[in-house]
Amino acid sequence: MTPAVLVVDDSLTVRMDLDEAFRNGGFATTLCATAAAARDAMERGPFVLVVLDVLLPDADGVDFLRELKGAPGTAKVPVMLLSTESEVRDRIRGLKTGAEEYVGKPYDANYVVARARELVRALQPIPPEGATPRILVVDDSATFRCTLKAALEARGYEVTTAESGEEGLRLAAGLRPRAVIVDGVLPGMDGASVVRRLRQDAALRRTPTILLTASEDPKGELQALDAGADAYVRKEEELSVILTRLSAVLRSSDASRSVEAASSLLGPKKVLAVDDSPTYLQELALQLRGEGYEPILARSGEEALELLAVQPVDCILLDVLMPGISGHEACRRIKSSPGWREIPTLMLTAREERADLIEGINAGADDYIPKSSEFDVLKARLRAQLRRKQFEDENRHIREQLLQKELEAAQARASRELAETRARLLADLEAKNKELESFSYSVSHDLRAPLRAIDGFSRMLLEGHAERLDAEGKRLLGVVVENARRMGQLIDDLLRFSRLGRTALRRTRLDMAGLARSVAAELQAAAPGRRVELVVRDLPPAHADPSLVRQVFQNLIGNALKYTRTRETARIEVGFRTEGLDSEYSVSDNGVGFEMEYAHKLFGVFQRLHSSEEFEGSGVGLALVKRIVERHGGTVRAEGKPGEGATFRFTLPEGEPGA
Amino acid sequence: MSDLNEIEVLLVEDNPHDAEMTLAALRKHHLANRLHHVKDGAEALAFLFATGGYSGRKVECGPKVVLLDLKLPKVDGLEVLRKVKSDERTRATPVVVLTSSSEEQDVLESYRLGVNSYIVKPVDFEKFAESMRHLGLYWLLLNRSPR
Repeated sequence: MTPAVLVVDDSLTVRMDLDEAFRNGGFATTLCATAAAARDAMERGPFVLVVLDVLLPDADGVDFLRELKGAPGTAKVPVMLLSTESEVRDRIRGLKTGAEEYVGKPYDANYVVARARELVRALQPIPPEGATPRILVVDDSATFRCTLKAALEARGYEVTTAESGEEGLRLAAGLRPRAVIVDGVLPGMDGASVVRRLRQDAALRRTPTILLTASEDPKGELQALDAGADAYVRKEEELSVILTRLSAVLRSSDASRSVEAASSLLGPKKVLAVDDSPTYLQELALQLRGEGYEPILARSGEEALELLAVQPVDCILLDVLMPGISGHEACRRIKSSPGWREIPTLMLTAREERADLIEGINAGADDYIPKSSEFDVLKARLRAQLRRKQFEDENRHIREQLLQKELEAAQARASRELAETRARLLADLEAKNKELESFSYSVSHDLRAPLRAIDGFSRMLLEGHAERLDAEGKRLLGVVVENARRMGQLIDDLLRFSRLGRTALRRTRLDMAGLARSVAAELQAAAPGRRVELVVRDLPPAHADPSLVRQVFQNLIGNALKYTRTRETARIEVGFRTEGLDSEYSVSDNGVGFEMEYAHKLFGVFQRLHSSEEFEGSGVGLALVKRIVERHGGTVRAEGKPGEGATFRFTLPEGEPGA
Repeated sequence: MSDLNEIEVLLVEDNPHDAEMTLAALRKHHLANRLHHVKDGAEALAFLFATGGYSGRKVECGPKVVLLDLKLPKVDGLEVLRKVKSDERTRATPVVVLTSSSEEQDVLESYRLGVNSYIVKPVDFEKFAESMRHLGLYWLLLNRSPR
């Protein structure tokens, strides 16, 4: 289906002109003079592009643009605004509203079509690599063209021919062939010049070229390579030589093809010209357009800065003397903005003073051009700056891509390694957990069965055969029973300790004072006949696992009771103090205490500071306390003095929500 | 114990010492008169479902209570429990799991399978004997299973 373009302009001349240009360019057209007609047309047919005049009899073009860009059906259709070049306001409004392109009147119809083609192409998916490669053959001999074309087509290439260098360049720009074969001797522009021109064009710079020549002139090859051709073949050689060279240059160019995807590097260069004199500006615009640039005009520094915000440009020409902010100031602002810093900026001045030049360079200008000199000088310097910019852009582009690739590779490697390590650790951990689980399972079953028998049968002996045992015999059996019972306790404690690491925390809001009081009451009931002054202060609540914190209090208060046994009156206090954001709970006593240098040993498994003759115990209790507190993210510590008592403090920080 | 249909307590226990202590504890409270002792899960199932050497029994005349150890040779205790609780004829028979383990997974699994009671055998014989006394009182004297 022929792609259709909608042209909206109230001028009949413009409509007719663009109609012809677009039809010649292979587009279908629909022409409208008003926004109302355009709105109707939009409803009827899909368009690949809209060319829109800003000034319409029945509407403001920018308003109509906003309408198009706001509707889901039409938002994606590229819009090219047409308006008077000198209307900077229109350009800014248009681009801000979402126009893809703004072309100033007077326009060049061929440029409009070429730009339209680019905009449409940008929307289409890039044709897959490996499609039939197109070769451009430039030769003035019809016979040779036909022979080569036939030979190439037989090899599966698509061939386009041109009979002059000029035609060849035109075709190359539109077709972007995969390779160009060009005769050295041509009427008008010669082959070497064609190659040289191709090398200057950003889009075609990397297209492989083969230069053919009839001459035996040894300088022919030098000239060809000097011009930038990739290969050089004498015409007398057989066609097969040309074909071989062609596939060779195509192969070597394929490697670098992927780099040139950036469309920003293609297309005509936009030059922002800033001058307060409309006459000079018009003349400058004419000259720039003659060079193939697209001029964008601004009449003041302020306008220029505003334009830059919406319109990317490739180069800036700045008049030094302007009302409002000066050229130097505008230059300084451009060069201090990260997005614009790279744009080559040339100062134009009517005066030729050293001081001006120095100030301009200081402001960051890339070049300084007297207005009095010929336009040719300006154009040459402009070209030089653009070439430099283009070169830098391409270099940066390549560098960025390489860097990006390296970065991606490194990231992929790192995340793969991380995932592998994690999976391995997780599997390890699971295996260890399983092992531990089955270990503690068999410990709890098999280790206890013999103990039970020792205890049970000893008691059966005591009960059933008491008359045959003397007092010493009964005492000895009592020791057996007592030790079996203690070992049972030890196994239970150890199992509880090891299970602690594997079960999930069940945090709830916990009345700490209530819990401490209930534990204290239970423990005191188990030790009747002692004088104990036990105080539980009004503790702040915690967010913790009740059954685990109960074990903490059981151990700490239990210890306090145990180690105050030698005191006539035991004094035990459960209290707290505020430490930063957390409450630090404490259990203190007036018991036997301990030496601070052994404090670090208190919390280890089986670490005891007293003989079991003095105070019984398995040496697991405080290790359990430490583990419980740490599982809540808290800390525990002990203070003590021999003969004066001990204080144990712990925190239970709020858990993560949901933890 | 001539008539197996008159059995009130079926003790399933492979550890002879544990079995002897259980018997002693029950005897102390006169609860061991009509007790049958089997040493593995397979024999327990044969007894309960009147198969093999027990084909003379009637399944319907189940014991008043089964005391079941979990760690057993051949067929383990949880499997016996599952079979008993999934058969119409034996489902009503009370089963008390006796085990040295207080591992949570066993407790949960037993309750999931429909155990009637669960006793962790303590190392302390006195405590064990006390549990047995409570158990005998409840299941043999007070509790009447639907017949």
